[in-house]
Amino acid sequence: MKDNVVIIGGGIAGMEAAKQLLSLGVKPILVEKAPRLGGHVASWHRLFPDMTLASDIIKRLEKDIAGANIFLETSVENISRKGRSYNLVLSNGITVNAAAVLFATGFSLFDAAKKEEYGYGVYDRVITNADLEAWMNGKKDSRIPASPATVGFVHCVGSRDIKAGNTQCSKVCCTTAIKQAIEIKERFPAAEVYCFYMDLRLFGKKYEDFYIEAQKDFGVHFVRGRVSEVGERIDGSLQVKAEDTLSGRPLRVGVDLLVLMSGMCCNPKAGALASSVKLELDSDGFLRSRDNVYEINRSNLPGVFYAGACTGTKTVPETAAEARAAALEIYNYLKA
Amino acid sequence: MTDFGFSLSKSSVVDIDRTDTALYRRLCELDRTAASCMSCGSCSATCTASSYSGMSLRKVLHGLQRGEDVRPMLRCCMLCGKCTMVCPRGINTRHVLLTIAKIYD
Amino acid sequence: MIDRIPSGFNPFVIPFLFGMAFVLGYCLFGAVRILLQLPREDRKKLYLSLITPTTIYKNIRDIFCDCLLHVRLWKRNPVLGYMHSSIAFGWFMLIVLGHVEVLLFVPHRINLFYYPIFFNYFVAEANQTLRGAFMFFLMDLFLLLVMSGIAIAMIKRVRSRIVGMRKTTRHSLINLIGMYSLWAIFPLRLLAECFTAHISGGSFLTIPGNWVFRSILGNDLNLLPTWWAYSIVLCIFMCVLPFSRYMHIPAEMMLIPLRNAGLKVRDSRKGFARVQVMSCPNCGVCLDACPMSVSRADVRDCTVYLMRQMRAGNERRIKEISEKCLLCGKCEAVCQEGVEGPKLRLLERAKTEYRLSPDYSDIYVAAPSGKVLYFSGCMSQLTPSVGRSVESVMRKAGVDFDWMDREGGICCGRPMFTAGRLEEARGMVRRNEELILASGADTLVVSCPICFKMFREEYSLPGVRVVHYLEYFDELIAEGRLTLEKSELCYVYHDPCELGRGSGIYDQPRRLLGRAAAIAEAPKARAESVCCGGSLGSLTLDFARREKMTRASLENLYASHADAIATACPLCLATFGRYSDRPVRDVAEIIDQQTKGNNIEL
Repeated sequence: MKDNVVIIGGGIAGMEAAKQLLSLGVKPILVEKAPRLGGHVASWHRLFPDMTLASDIIKRLEKDIAGANIFLETSVENISRKGRSYNLVLSNGITVNAAAVLFATGFSLFDAAKKEEYGYGVYDRVITNADLEAWMNGKKDSRIPASPATVGFVHCVGSRDIKAGNTQCSKVCCTTAIKQAIEIKERFPAAEVYCFYMDLRLFGKKYEDFYIEAQKDFGVHFVRGRVSEVGERIDGSLQVKAEDTLSGRPLRVGVDLLVLMSGMCCNPKAGALASSVKLELDSDGFLRSRDNVYEINRSNLPGVFYAGACTGTKTVPETAAEARAAALEIYNYLKA
Repeated sequence: MTDFGFSLSKSSVVDIDRTDTALYRRLCELDRTAASCMSCGSCSATCTASSYSGMSLRKVLHGLQRGEDVRPMLRCCMLCGKCTMVCPRGINTRHVLLTIAKIYD
Repeated sequence: MIDRIPSGFNPFVIPFLFGMAFVLGYCLFGAVRILLQLPREDRKKLYLSLITPTTIYKNIRDIFCDCLLHVRLWKRNPVLGYMHSSIAFGWFMLIVLGHVEVLLFVPHRINLFYYPIFFNYFVAEANQTLRGAFMFFLMDLFLLLVMSGIAIAMIKRVRSRIVGMRKTTRHSLINLIGMYSLWAIFPLRLLAECFTAHISGGSFLTIPGNWVFRSILGNDLNLLPTWWAYSIVLCIFMCVLPFSRYMHIPAEMMLIPLRNAGLKVRDSRKGFARVQVMSCPNCGVCLDACPMSVSRADVRDCTVYLMRQMRAGNERRIKEISEKCLLCGKCEAVCQEGVEGPKLRLLERAKTEYRLSPDYSDIYVAAPSGKVLYFSGCMSQLTPSVGRSVESVMRKAGVDFDWMDREGGICCGRPMFTAGRLEEARGMVRRNEELILASGADTLVVSCPICFKMFREEYSLPGVRVVHYLEYFDELIAEGRLTLEKSELCYVYHDPCELGRGSGIYDQPRRLLGRAAAIAEAPKARAESVCCGGSLGSLTLDFARREKMTRASLENLYASHADAIATACPLCLATFGRYSDRPVRDVAEIIDQQTKGNNIEL
């Protein structure tokens, strides 16, 4: 087949793009390194703001792309440019000559253990947002107490933090924290929940309503101050230190569970792969779009397109919209 | 004198037009990182001296921009460098503190 | 061998005599000035050491080994060692042998200062003797030795990598004049001796040279001008010497007795410091050693340039360089002369005037009590794994102790101290001393190398032993109170500056780690360890520049091919943790994990 299209990454961006390409009559090759499709979203429980089950979305997408060539547990080992096409060597030994390549390589979740002062991996009661979602999806987690009296959420873990190597805002964590705070309150109504934030960035449709709901209906407490360090008390509970910047005084609170909102950061493997074929990286390590206003989907090379969080932090609806747009761009590119 | 229970109190308005920010501007000239504070409060929360003198670098930087006297807070600073470690904006806080101690009248 | 010139004089010796008089006068004047700058007690100490046999022996040995043979440089870099010692020792031997020749052949001229230098001009060979041939042979041999060193120096100037240096110092005009005149001295001497060899005699270099030149030129017209040129170049070199890096030659002879007398630098510009500044040969060994040299913009802030700015008296740059340094101590560790770069910077920082001063007198801290105290330090609160592991290991070993700053305490004072605010640091030191002495403790265990150095050097704690947990754990194991199991992982140990170079603790961490896991060594380890870049020593380095240093330091550790990195400093731990591609752990964590649970629970 002359007009092969390879989609690198089987998260929602790759899946949505595959779905649209199929509907346009193009049968793409989807390469996913994990043994299952769905990427990060597949390991999430519910999605804000409507509490949609993530598994429903993934199941629907899986059905829609059944007609595509899907390689699971496969990664792209090498890309090289050959005139107007690209040669991709896959880890399963197959070599594909592609007219168009779509990077849907997504993001990496920040490794919370890098912020040693928060004690992830050191203290028993510190988990991340991803750990909490896995637990809500039914995975056992001994770190989560049976009935926590107080739960803390630390926003911006590894985001907006030059020390963590990420100056960008991870965009979704504020809303995710509110969502998870509500879910904690639903499961443990007696628990006091504290969200430690620097700024609340609730920009999307209905996000602000979500915030109001958390305040009014669930009594979640919001503390404006970044957590500086976490200590452990003799009984195993944690002591969180922050500044209550609104009163201008240092604040201490004991919590039974601390959830770190690990942010999205660039996927270094995708960056290395992209660099090998002279695709440009942005200063934040994400792939650089030709233009951040109007050409998010385009790269600096003809025939290479981007969709989703590989170019920056994105929400699920943004990713899906970009994937659709990318599919159309690829379709037009192949036709021309 | 009879105390009527009234007194003239200073206006609590932050009058930017009448605020002397020369010291803050001088500080930012000498250490440009000082201007990038986003008031997250990490420095204040971690500060070794905060419980002794109410030290808060965030408040010091804010106070300088509002023309306030920040000297009492600085009294117990030990220059230990914890604030440098935690600052998410990479402000060279120890240099900022030394610079303030140098330029303050 | 007979005297050829009855008067024993020719005007061409005048430039040499002038240069010699100038340089001797300058050095004498300088030496007296420096002696007067020394504090009275230091001066007394110095004079006393000059008449003590052991120090006399040490001085002679050091001058011979360091100034002439460059033994330390040989160990570090044999090519550079050869280069320096061939020039210094060769030249020295030429002068000594010159005197021997005068004594042997024309002993009545020994009172003429210039005779040994220009010996060949003033003598004629009446009849060949074995003794004369031997002397001429030695002279030619040492001249060849010196010229081989000069040849390496020339190559080094063009391509420093050949002699194993990535960076070499950029020289000022005066240094260049000095260098070129030094390079010219020996070829000119050879030429002059070649032209004279048919009269004075010569050996394997000079006789063939003479034959070649005479057969080409056919006359002796070049004879006198070459001796003039030789003398003039000597004059230029000696006149430039006091203002160039070659001042290190006489300065070092003063530095060695001062150092051996046990003097300490007390002022960043005067006395001992001045001698150190003068002794810097601008060799540039500190350039490659300095962790800052990974950024082109920071190379000019290495110690060799501080020395140069101090000589030039450029106050703005001295301040800039002094405040920027990480105080990692590596330049001092590699310096052949023993220039104390970090110390001089610290003294320089202490000169800054501040208008605000802190006051720690009324800080309230809960009083600790117990025979053993543990001080984790401020930084360890941001790396909770360190304190927790130390605590856990000590509990397992059954040590009854009190963690004196678990809830935060008073800083040890070192960060303030390294900022040059010595009095302010003393304020903290006093408070901590009171707390520790009142506790009744006999042992203070410290986990942070920064605090450790401060406690050891600046605190007065009679009856209290200050130990780093590495030493303490090592002892616990020796006493059989801890038993370790070996893990499969291979660690590379990073020597933190304050612990390794700063406090000389190199073996205990390796011994401990060796019991708990496999260990690999980085190419640059122990005293050569590369600072992580996180040091509080620097007052001005910004975050981006530090990142480059951290990455360079990590590269050195990666080269060991270890699975993980181990260190024993909370600051190194946090700094490496940001960028490392493999796990970074504190030795205490590893020990805790590998300690068997057969121990006493408290």
